[in-house]
Amino acid sequence: MGNNTSTHKISAQDKAILDMKNQRDKLHQYQKRITVLTDREKAIAKEMLAKGDKPRALLALRRKKYQESLLAKTDAQLEQLEKLTSSVEFALVQKDVVFGLQQGTNVLQEIHKEMGGLDHVEKLMGETADAIAYQQEVSDMLGGRISNHDEDEVEDELEALEAELTGVPLPDVPKTELLARERARAREREREGQLEQRVAMLA
Amino acid sequence: MATTAPPPTTTTSFTFPREYHFPPFFSRQTQATTHHAQCSKWSALIRAYSRAHKVFKLSLIDALDGELFHNAALHKRLSLEDARDMLDFMCREGRAEWIGAEKNVAWIWWRSPDEWAAAIADWVDQTGQKNSVLTLYELTESEATISQEFHGMDPELLQKALSILVKRGKAQVFGQEDQQGVKFF
Repeated sequence: MGNNTSTHKISAQDKAILDMKNQRDKLHQYQKRITVLTDREKAIAKEMLAKGDKPRALLALRRKKYQESLLAKTDAQLEQLEKLTSSVEFALVQKDVVFGLQQGTNVLQEIHKEMGGLDHVEKLMGETADAIAYQQEVSDMLGGRISNHDEDEVEDELEALEAELTGVPLPDVPKTELLARERARAREREREGQLEQRVAMLA
Repeated sequence: MATTAPPPTTTTSFTFPREYHFPPFFSRQTQATTHHAQCSKWSALIRAYSRAHKVFKLSLIDALDGELFHNAALHKRLSLEDARDMLDFMCREGRAEWIGAEKNVAWIWWRSPDEWAAAIADWVDQTGQKNSVLTLYELTESEATISQEFHGMDPELLQKALSILVKRGKAQVFGQEDQQGVKFF
């Protein structure tokens, strides 16, 4: 980039494209000329008709017709030229794409070479797995020891913290049994016992 | 092509500024500050008029009878000498440039070649035509550029603008005389 013109070479393809485009421009100019001519012939025909000179008017119209046929032919040629030009331009783009792909492939291969092949990667992955397993073992051992020593203490601390957070001391558990309830319970137990006996006798 | 002579008056809807309808505008002002103001107004008018009519080269002799220097409604016209003065002033501003020493024809830089170069480069950029070959004829005459201000541009001016791009390494002009093409980078 920059001012270095040597990188911006005009290739033979560019020149060929320019030639084609110049040809196209010439056809355009030719068409312009023909259009002017047809317009003039038409004007002449009108003039002759106004003068009552029918044969001349016819002649002018015939010329006009002929020129219009030329115009149609140049249109077809123009189309051909434009098709060819765009094909060439597209082929150039394709060339660039292929070149780009080639570059990319080269780079990819280079990187693969640097990685040292599949075997190397496999070996490396094995080693990594070993290392991870070893690390796991070590941390298991360390982790276990810590929990054995301190687990109880940790739990105690947690309880203390919880009590602190709630702030309210727990009410004392009543030590005297309530007499009325005790009797009710005893009666219930008796009834259940009788029911069971009856079921047993029926069976 | 609109190169040297201003086209007929009927083609555009150019509105002249207020000063144009003020008779003293057409006579040389003696007071220095007034004269300077007059010159700047003329400079602006000439540029606006040239832009509206796509005049790239202004021929004084032809233009003196045109509507630019001749207000038919007021029966006032700028003298050749005064018109030359105005263009001299524009040259000092960098908004015009005499062609030849006779001072009869001048480039009117309503856009300087630098600005033209930028406009063309922008257009090429926007239409994605970098790295493709275009003919000079195509640039100024084809249907693709009809909406662009450089459509119908003077070929000489086009060459100037392109040579600026070439110097910057943004384009390369090649091909034989009269059939030149340009490739943008």
